[in-house]
Amino acid sequence: MTSFTINDRSVTVDVEEDTPLLWVIRDEIGLTGTKFGCGIGMCGVCTVHVGGRPTRSCITPVRAVEGAKITTIEGLAATAAHAVQKAWIDLQVPQCGYCQPGQIMQAAALIRDFPSPTDEDIDAVMSGNLCRCMTYVRIRAAIKQAAAALRGEVTNG
Amino acid sequence: MFKRLLIGAIVLMVLGFGGFLAFAWRPEIAASQPPAPSSFDPALVARGEILAGAGYCSECHTPKGGRPYSGSRPMVTDFGTIYATNITPDPETGIGKWSEEAFRRALWTGVRRDGAHLLPAFPFDHLTKLSTEDVAALYAYFMTREPVHSVTPENTIPFPLNIRLFQAGWKLLFFTPGRFEPRADKSAEWNRGAYLAEGISHCGACHTPRNLLGAEKASATYGGAFIDNWVAPPLDKSNPSPVPWSRDELYTYLRTGISRYHGSASGPMAPVVHAGLNVVSDADVRAIATYFADVDESAPRAAEEKAAIDHALAADKRGVGPDNDPAAKLYTAACASCHYNGGEINVLRPDLALNSAVNLEDPTNLIRIILFGIDAKEGAPDIVMPAFAHGFSDEDVAQIAAYLRATRTDHPPWQGLVEKVAAIRAQGKTEE
Amino acid sequence: MASLHRLQKAAREAAGSALSRRGFLAGMVGTSAAFGFSRMADAAMDPATANGVPPKPVGALYEPSLWYSIDSAGNVTVNIIRAEMGQHVGTALARILADELETDWNKVNIVHVDTDQKWGLMVTGGSWSVSQTWTLFSQAGAAGRIALIEAGAKLLDADPQSCIARHGQVVAGEKSITFGEIIGKKAVTRHFSPEEIDKLPLKPVAERRLVGKPVTALDVPTKTNGEALYGIDAHVAGMLHARPKIPPTRYGSKVVSVDDSAARKIKGYLRSLVIEDPSNTVPGWVMVIGDSTFAAMRAADLVKVTWEAGPTANVSEKDVQDHASALIDKPEGGVLLDVGGPKGRDVAKAAFAAADFVLEQTYTTATVLHFQLEPMNALAFEKDGIFEIHTGNQWQSLILPVLAKALDRPQESIVLRSYMLGGGFGRRLNGDYIVPAALAAKALGRPVKLLLTRHDDVLFDSVRSSSVQKIRMAFDSGNKIIGMEHHAAAGWPTEVMAPAFMPKGQDDKPFDPFAIAGADHWYDVGPQLVRAISNDLANATFRPGWLRSVGPGWINWALESFMDEAAFHAKMDPVALRLKLLSGKGQNENAGQAPKAVGGALRQAEVLRRVAQRAGWGSPLPPDTGLGIATTFGQEREMPTWIACAARVHVDRTTGKVRVEKLTIITDAGTIVDPDGAKAQTEGGALWGLSMALNEGTEFEKGQVRDTNLDSYTPLRIDETPELDVSFVDSAEFPVGLGEPATTVVAPAIGNAIFAAVGVRLRHLPITPQAVLAGLKAVG
Repeated sequence: MTSFTINDRSVTVDVEEDTPLLWVIRDEIGLTGTKFGCGIGMCGVCTVHVGGRPTRSCITPVRAVEGAKITTIEGLAATAAHAVQKAWIDLQVPQCGYCQPGQIMQAAALIRDFPSPTDEDIDAVMSGNLCRCMTYVRIRAAIKQAAAALRGEVTNG
Repeated sequence: MFKRLLIGAIVLMVLGFGGFLAFAWRPEIAASQPPAPSSFDPALVARGEILAGAGYCSECHTPKGGRPYSGSRPMVTDFGTIYATNITPDPETGIGKWSEEAFRRALWTGVRRDGAHLLPAFPFDHLTKLSTEDVAALYAYFMTREPVHSVTPENTIPFPLNIRLFQAGWKLLFFTPGRFEPRADKSAEWNRGAYLAEGISHCGACHTPRNLLGAEKASATYGGAFIDNWVAPPLDKSNPSPVPWSRDELYTYLRTGISRYHGSASGPMAPVVHAGLNVVSDADVRAIATYFADVDESAPRAAEEKAAIDHALAADKRGVGPDNDPAAKLYTAACASCHYNGGEINVLRPDLALNSAVNLEDPTNLIRIILFGIDAKEGAPDIVMPAFAHGFSDEDVAQIAAYLRATRTDHPPWQGLVEKVAAIRAQGKTEE
Repeated sequence: MASLHRLQKAAREAAGSALSRRGFLAGMVGTSAAFGFSRMADAAMDPATANGVPPKPVGALYEPSLWYSIDSAGNVTVNIIRAEMGQHVGTALARILADELETDWNKVNIVHVDTDQKWGLMVTGGSWSVSQTWTLFSQAGAAGRIALIEAGAKLLDADPQSCIARHGQVVAGEKSITFGEIIGKKAVTRHFSPEEIDKLPLKPVAERRLVGKPVTALDVPTKTNGEALYGIDAHVAGMLHARPKIPPTRYGSKVVSVDDSAARKIKGYLRSLVIEDPSNTVPGWVMVIGDSTFAAMRAADLVKVTWEAGPTANVSEKDVQDHASALIDKPEGGVLLDVGGPKGRDVAKAAFAAADFVLEQTYTTATVLHFQLEPMNALAFEKDGIFEIHTGNQWQSLILPVLAKALDRPQESIVLRSYMLGGGFGRRLNGDYIVPAALAAKALGRPVKLLLTRHDDVLFDSVRSSSVQKIRMAFDSGNKIIGMEHHAAAGWPTEVMAPAFMPKGQDDKPFDPFAIAGADHWYDVGPQLVRAISNDLANATFRPGWLRSVGPGWINWALESFMDEAAFHAKMDPVALRLKLLSGKGQNENAGQAPKAVGGALRQAEVLRRVAQRAGWGSPLPPDTGLGIATTFGQEREMPTWIACAARVHVDRTTGKVRVEKLTIITDAGTIVDPDGAKAQTEGGALWGLSMALNEGTEFEKGQVRDTNLDSYTPLRIDETPELDVSFVDSAEFPVGLGEPATTVVAPAIGNAIFAAVGVRLRHLPITPQAVLAGLKAVG
């Protein structure tokens, strides 16, 4: 049995403790916005927040999150990070969209750590998130737009 | 460690046997009725609770998922398994029949109520420094715990290595009983820290290397050691972290489980912080930090800090951007998103140039953390590092370790990394 | 070469359907209950809603054609037969229709429909969607508008000639009535015959209100909040989970024994099932069944299968490439394309015999993986006599007959539901992954959801075949080009997976257009031999795939690198040489044809001229920095997308690292329906081209690809992404394709830029620092 909170809801799951958090979220809890890509922590589509930090859920055993607070893409809008989702829509970042929940979770955390992200910051922090449609140009632009919005600056995109 | 103790035991067997018997024998202390919990002053019990935390007694004496202090937690060695004892006041299976005198004798000299010698897995060589008052507080605390009827399994050490009498010889050679003696040339805070660190918190039990017979080397106190498949880093100035451990960083680390300049409390150190020192007062934790800041002589080395951080921030930018080095690509895709810092060290983005695990002489800690991650209850609380064991090959992990060593430090490369990763993978995440 | 047209014709014949896709203007008005589909009430996916379920229609419903309906609130629901895999295709197509219909865009919904014969050929690929649907949806929208104006005029008591339709209303001077009101009164009576629809004129460009204007794609919001439903999210009560054990060879492996003793300790592991596949799509597969995704995954790690491997178990990348070279060296092999003018294998012989100089070079490319981020998956189960397949797929019409054979049941009793695709790039044109899921569901009598791990997915990929190409050019004494030969050998996806769709070359021999398109270029080079060669060893070792741009991705790497080499030989500026050859003249009908290729080579020359100017061609650059240029017509001569790219790269002489600093791309795709989508597709396509030029490539080792995950397969990431300058030629010509063309120009532009920067000519993809260093050493 492992207990944690997810999107402000307390849950207890009865799964083998080495089950990756990803499959607990998708199959046990039924939140499918978090995706499965490479299974080895190198594409970022499974990114969720654990204690506010972006975390690759496909290689995080559920044991590790005992007592922790988890936020998934479905719960992100409740936080200030919705500015990221708004920028994503404004700039029509998604193509196939499959990696975008992970990109958005990573970007939301990036802006918290780097309120005025430089290109270098974006390169370093976002390189763990693969986008096979290669929407990178727009991801970069959307991060800057969202960061400006969160800083309270007006931007025309 | 225990292996060495056993070798010591065998060596001692060849020493004069008869005289030895006389020397080694200890009397039984008569059984007493368990005192009523109400007979203890609550203030004394509360003091005992904090001391039990400072000594993280539960780390050995509380079984995983079991009742507090009911024992039976196994310590696996090459020669068999030792089980920590039940220290609840249960008269049959715990210490209910122990008088305070018997309890004190156990802490101060490592002798059981029935006169048998305790194995030095129990750190009486440190607890001997405890004051009478603190022993009384611990006694009050344990005797007011809920009694749990739980028989501690027999250790599986084979005959004749299991003859406890021989421990007396070990004590003769390596054990100096006696209370802590404050140093007049040091501050009260320093002395308080030294008292805790050398006594109840028994830091040296892990961080001081041991000799062939398994005793802490007096000549190398806090010089760092292997323990439970981890490296307990040196606490003296031989610690290779680029930023010296200052009093403030130590305090933050012991209080929160993470230091921006050194990394997080992982492996066996995690419960020390989160299931031990967490009940200790800020003043006492600060005292411990004060003591170790002096042990590692960080004050005169404070000037090294800025250069180390500048070096780290410069190294931090490597690997990002077009780079066909496979190791750089692995690092960028798997590590940089969490560990990159930009222009300023963020405690929640542990910098890898400064991190102890990358700078230690031995790569064990780094490999362990890459393979098995850091759980939410370890390190900085409520956040995790994922476990790359399932997806990464031994070669992948070795590549990242070698890359970090080469690009983040000036230390010589680690040797035999792939084999080391394979061996550690086979051990598994051993701590619970 | 008429691949597209043949595809459509063949599909219609294959489907045995006499229905015209333009027909069906029944003028039918029913109630809400009439909406939807007879077999499954929820059988369509609305990408704009949280659960994919389309909103319920309000009141009476008007279905002017197969392609859309309008309810009494004026909501327009457009039926999309194309797969959504990032192109926002539904939005693009719906707005073609909505523009002619003159409806209110805010009331437009799209649904991705389930399979049914009535839809005709269901395929999403080849960058065809907009181009193929343009006329169809324009006329369908126009017919609805005319019918609504007539009915509205009657209700307004006005002369239809004095009425117009705007924003979902019929307006007569001061009076107006909404489409919804007209439909609520069941007032539409007008019927159109297919012939009448065919004659409907399209709106003048100036009257367009949606086409070419910015619109937020309908599928974007749910792709930012986790609500978008992909095949991997499909779920049905009681489903079991399966992960396969992939055999050592793609074909011919036989299961000798299965040992699941170690797997039995996994909680949730149920059994291992040896698949018997009458369609021979997945020979030698074993499905490991569990009651959860992770149970099946973990158990499959522990199940030991012994196979008798097929004949390709020891094939290496070098074997495949050596075989390709050997095939090229046999002049009698392969299929000659009809590129206009004289035919036969000796067509250019005289020119080469007379040549003063012959330039000959060989170009190669490595195996490339799709690596779409959503691993292959499918949920299959039988319900009420219908076999339902829940998955994302690009070519439903291709896999349905295969499923019918595998399951031994009529095709009509199998339905594919349409989920979002977590990446297509051509991988999901090949629906092979559905077969084992369906067979397992049939065998177990339970719903089965198959999910491949990344490692499985890569081993089972229909990779982009490695390739070998030899190009020769004959020059006269004045360095005038007087003849050309292009020989290209690779695995042929269409031959392996859809042989009936192969067009015929000379001597009535079929060839795979997706493995040669591009070699039939628009340059005027005199007598021209274009020979396509199927690499049978490649075809036997793996299932060659259609991967974003397919053949043009490697053909143009060779051709456009070679054109620069030709310019170098002729001591001409590479842009000037190309402009000279793109004369709109020559035997290969280079003047172009209506409707899609109007203007021909002259339009290609124009994008080239523009890109050279925009990128500063000829301006001085810093040391070791070079500008390279390439131009192509995208995918096929019948539907040319004129495109040119200038790549600015910097080469590090010590490490051999190539940094692409900027890509400038200009595209003439005719009318642009969705400007932002067009830009997005071009950005993505260009970066795919870059990734395949510098980052991607694997090799076959012992019959399987070497790199099966991201620890060693290294597609482009954000930190390597250069500045992009993407623009379009403002055009009112017929719309053509945009999904792939940008992929075709980038690699040769980079190769040419490296030559410009440091004088090293590279002829293999991907370009590695080792190759650059070796080249630098060779040139001194």
